[in-house]
Amino acid sequence: MVGKPQPEPVNGSAKSGPSQSHLAPSSSTLKPDLLSNFSLKSLKLKTKQQELLIRIAILCLVYILAFITRLFSVLRYESMIHEFDPYFNYRTTLFLTQKGFYEFWNWFDSESWYPLGRIIGGTLYPGLMVTAALIYWSLRFLRFAVHIREVCVLTAPFFASNTTLVAYFFGKEIWDSGAGLVAAALIAICPGYISRSVAGSYDNEGVAIFALLLTFYLFVKAVNTGSLAWALASAFGYFYMVSAWGGYVFIINLIPLYVLVLLVTGRYSMRLYVAYNCMYVLGMLLAMQIRFVGFQHVQSGEHMAAMGVFFLIQVFYFLDWVKHLLSDAKLFQAFLRITVTSAIGVGGIALGLGMASGYISPWTGRFYSLLDPTYAKDHIPIIASVSEHQPTAWSSFMFDFHILLFLFPAGLYFCFKRLSDATIFIVMYGLTSMYFAGVMVRLILVATPAVCLISAIAVSATIKNLTQVVRSNNKVPQAGSSKGTGSSKGSSKVSIDQSQPFQRNGAIALLLGAFYLLSKYATHCTWVTSEAYSSPSIVLAARGAHGNRVIFDDYREAYFWLRQNTPPDAKVMSWWDYGYQITAMGNRTVIVDNNTWNNTHIATVGHAMSSYEDEAYDIMRSLDVDYVLVVFGGVTGYSSDDINKFLWMVRIGGGVFPVIKEPDYLVNGEYRVDKGAAPKMLNCLMYKLSYYRFGELTTEYGKPPGYDRARGVEIGNKDIKLEYLEEAFTTSNWIVRIYKVKPPKNRW
Amino acid sequence: MQRLLVFLTAISLIPLLCNSFSPENPTDRRLLVLLDDFSLKSTHSIFFQSLKSRGFDLDFKLADDPKLSLQRYGQYLYDGLILFSPTTESFGGSLNLGAVLDFVDSGHDLILAADASPSDLIRNVATEFGVDFDEDSSAVVIDHTNYAVSETEGDHTLIASDNFIQSDVILGKTKIEAPVLFKGVAHSLNAANSLVLNVLSASPSAYSSNPIFKSSRPPSLTGSAISLVSVVQARNNARILISGSLDLFSNRLFSSVVQKAGSSHKYKKSGNKQYVTELSKWVFHERGHLKAVNIRHHKIGETDEPAVYRIKDDLDFSVEIYEWSGKSWEPYVANDIQVQFYMMSPYVLKTLITDQKGLYYTSFKVPDIYGVFQFKVEYQKLGYTTLSLSKQIPVRPFKHNEYERFITTAFPYYGASFTTMAGFFIFSFIFLYNKSQ
Amino acid sequence: MARSTGKDAQALFHSLRSAYAATPTNLKIIDLYVVFAVSTAFIQVAYMAFVGSFPFNSFLSGVLSCIGTAVLAVCLRIQVNKENKEFKLKLESIYRHKVLSGISADAERDLPAERAFADFVLCNLVLHLVIINFLG
Repeated sequence: MVGKPQPEPVNGSAKSGPSQSHLAPSSSTLKPDLLSNFSLKSLKLKTKQQELLIRIAILCLVYILAFITRLFSVLRYESMIHEFDPYFNYRTTLFLTQKGFYEFWNWFDSESWYPLGRIIGGTLYPGLMVTAALIYWSLRFLRFAVHIREVCVLTAPFFASNTTLVAYFFGKEIWDSGAGLVAAALIAICPGYISRSVAGSYDNEGVAIFALLLTFYLFVKAVNTGSLAWALASAFGYFYMVSAWGGYVFIINLIPLYVLVLLVTGRYSMRLYVAYNCMYVLGMLLAMQIRFVGFQHVQSGEHMAAMGVFFLIQVFYFLDWVKHLLSDAKLFQAFLRITVTSAIGVGGIALGLGMASGYISPWTGRFYSLLDPTYAKDHIPIIASVSEHQPTAWSSFMFDFHILLFLFPAGLYFCFKRLSDATIFIVMYGLTSMYFAGVMVRLILVATPAVCLISAIAVSATIKNLTQVVRSNNKVPQAGSSKGTGSSKGSSKVSIDQSQPFQRNGAIALLLGAFYLLSKYATHCTWVTSEAYSSPSIVLAARGAHGNRVIFDDYREAYFWLRQNTPPDAKVMSWWDYGYQITAMGNRTVIVDNNTWNNTHIATVGHAMSSYEDEAYDIMRSLDVDYVLVVFGGVTGYSSDDINKFLWMVRIGGGVFPVIKEPDYLVNGEYRVDKGAAPKMLNCLMYKLSYYRFGELTTEYGKPPGYDRARGVEIGNKDIKLEYLEEAFTTSNWIVRIYKVKPPKNRW
Repeated sequence: MQRLLVFLTAISLIPLLCNSFSPENPTDRRLLVLLDDFSLKSTHSIFFQSLKSRGFDLDFKLADDPKLSLQRYGQYLYDGLILFSPTTESFGGSLNLGAVLDFVDSGHDLILAADASPSDLIRNVATEFGVDFDEDSSAVVIDHTNYAVSETEGDHTLIASDNFIQSDVILGKTKIEAPVLFKGVAHSLNAANSLVLNVLSASPSAYSSNPIFKSSRPPSLTGSAISLVSVVQARNNARILISGSLDLFSNRLFSSVVQKAGSSHKYKKSGNKQYVTELSKWVFHERGHLKAVNIRHHKIGETDEPAVYRIKDDLDFSVEIYEWSGKSWEPYVANDIQVQFYMMSPYVLKTLITDQKGLYYTSFKVPDIYGVFQFKVEYQKLGYTTLSLSKQIPVRPFKHNEYERFITTAFPYYGASFTTMAGFFIFSFIFLYNKSQ
Repeated sequence: MARSTGKDAQALFHSLRSAYAATPTNLKIIDLYVVFAVSTAFIQVAYMAFVGSFPFNSFLSGVLSCIGTAVLAVCLRIQVNKENKEFKLKLESIYRHKVLSGISADAERDLPAERAFADFVLCNLVLHLVIINFLG
């Protein structure tokens, strides 16, 4: 830091930017000034330098804040990877650092999806792993002996901090640096983003949101400047996004939509042409280098909007050029008519041919369910079964956005007041992402940057107006104020407001109210982060009888038991949720895992789990299964266990094997496990494996033995005998239970 | 004194644990024979003598001897068990149904003989092997058309049967000329059991019933459903012989003359001795015991076994199979051993070629599918031990640089790309040095 | 109707030709380059229609290299064309600042030709590198 700034009559918190927006003064002119000032020891800094200092200080604080607010779980538990998907990412990153990029790019994994195997090199988005590996290698190069797991755990907070910087620049591009600062601060702690980028959540979204915002920023910058260099940078940003997350489809549809809106509203300009063309062609080429994406940019229906807009903008350019060449308007009209009709005709025929012949594939189920939310429940039960894919409730919106939810419309209003290419973009981004966020809970994450930016515009504009009102009365008497060159707006306000002291007081009151709201926002965000989004979900915590914290580490206990007590080529069958964790921590082959690429295989496992023991035994023998793993929450009251997921197993299994019918397991449409449960339910493999020996256990004082605390009933079938399996291991709180499949009978 | 003797015998047997019954030498050595009473030693002496002459150590004990034990400190003291105690209700010492089943499940052989009215214990033992004796405890097999003509017994319970199983491995190469005399209870084979085999079945006119009293109900077991002698070869290759007659093994039936009813030919000696001897050779692994060693596979041209194959690789597979001749391992020669390249269903199925010295080999091309495959050899021939071999190997797809380097149909595209590059160079020169304006 | 469109087309053609002849030489060079690239692309598409799209990545890289060079050349043309009122780089205040400080916005281009060409070269470099990687 250079030195203390001169005390400024700036009201309110540091969140409000300076009232005048002098954009990024070039630092080259500042440096000699700073040095001379420093040598003068008088610490008198000019306004621009103070402003720069404040801005840098704010950005540094926000950067650090974004990082440390995500560290709750590391402090409370330990530095470990959370959830399910991050374990796969961790395993692949480990492989990458150990075997190198060539092996990683061509990796065929024989330990998952036994016996089909999985070509991991061609079916993942490598951006996250390569990023973490690069950070790891560079730290190693600097002789920091870190373990790759630490790098993986902290990658997401690091990129969250970087996102705040990008948000600052983006806000500056759209509105002014004040809005940028507010945006950076808002996005640093917004729970919608924190939920997927907390330390330990080593998932694609952690870097993908950074890449998303970066791409958008660079593109808007390219549109504003019309420079090929910025467009190239946005193409690289898009490439990074494609390598990081499947949600890049959002970018490749939003940007053409934005271009289309600009064309339609008559804002076509050369800059737009340069920016979009360069970004589309180079971005598409770069994106096709990722094996998983392949040729989708020219073959999939989801990417056709971009191509259509590409051709449309060529037509626009051509027409513009011809118009420029021709001096006669009438001729041009004729020409226009011919060209437009032929272009639309050709385009329509091409698209129709493509879709009819099946060459252009229609929208895949994953993305189609965003347009039609009821599609997944009927046709793709796997997508419907994931809890993150459910439509969003208002409470989730409030939980994740808090005051941003009503600052968002205010920001939209400000954007509409000052329409420019950049504000149109942010409005479109905000509206489309909010629609999708309403369809699927998981997509609140994509909406968060837009909401933060637009709210920042509202906050910044409001506070700026208010502080101007407050300060206008101070200006006239104090000539020596270092705020110097007031804008003409300010001076005009002075003449008006002098006569109305109410306005000043009102403004002060409103300012205080605004700061109160922002501080409540900060409190809420911190509370949400601490309570809701910092649990590793592989380690469970609860309050004991005396208020002490009780930790359930059953998952890891079971995986390490598997690792140490089973033969190295043992195959483990479990529901697909736990596949990644079993391969990553237990180091054993699994039958199905979270990638869910083969529905029939998952349905086979579902079939086995919902059949009687002897039929299930035949299925397990055909898959060479050695161990079966089930998760059971009846002793601890853990409600995300396999019995609660069982109906999804039945539905998915029944989707491929019609012999499994869901009504067989229900009683009057009700799902029960007590005495009144359906007989097929009481004797299916999942029931037996979950409740084996449970009938002898007393779980709660005053309740009979065999009382299931997760479902709140006494189980129906207490005397369970297993004929083809035997119990191998049950963890200390009965959460994970492992069974060994017996070999076929010797004499029979 | 007797106790001391028993103790010393047991102690002296311990050193023999090292060199008997190992996979290298599968023939059993020490047999425990449980008898109802010791008179069986003399009435069945020829059978026991033949066993001893083949090198077996027989240990005779009463079935309810309180010092009976099959194992000591986790090691089995015997390699085979002969239960000639059809009326024993419970075994003495530490022996019981579970102990007998564990004995068999750990790979040891068993000969079980029942007789008229077998005890529940013997019935339960037999049921565990898929053999169900007739529930009527007083019933015996009666055949009014295939009985053996005899002076002493006229109730047609002594049957002469020649419905042998057709298997050279089980019954030896030499054909048994004379029929086998049988007097005892009938049993049927449990249909759910896929491992039990009938080696001596009754003729269609036989039935199982009480010979003295008329029964009110029709007999439950009749005709060819009656099995007189059965064997089971368990999945761990333990062999079990279950016979419905103890007299099958007796000296009297060995040396008696056989004349089948309705035929005038008299055989001087019954086929019992040969039949029982050949069967016991099979049961105690002197014949029909295979071992497979040295399963190897490698790419053609290499010798090391790779950790992973690539699709469309060419590979060699070989395995060595030997047969125990009673004294040594001889190469096994057959032309019907197949290997599968299996992933949930066989993608490649090939018959192995043999070089007559025990080596079986073949070579094939890995199919165009990637996944985790297994080399599977499933050989189940009647009378031979089951060979169930499998070796797992992953098969990976092509790496990104294992495709054809330059594809001829794509040359125009290569040309176009390079032309564009050249055009770019030329264009930038011209554009930069263009002097006009 | 056909006659009037025919006459219109002829008149159109004539005026286009005369207007085009007035464009500066360097722009004509760029136009030639664009025509060359687009025609190469058409040849490749025709070839693909004839032979089939077997090495699809090679086809795509060939076609996209042509389209890419065409597009980038057009972008260069836009930036180098002196007739284009240059893009607004900064917000209105800077523009006004320049006007107030007496700098003519037209005389000084915010994007000098050298910068435009340098961007063009950079983009082409990236384009050709990716094409080589994608070619197979």
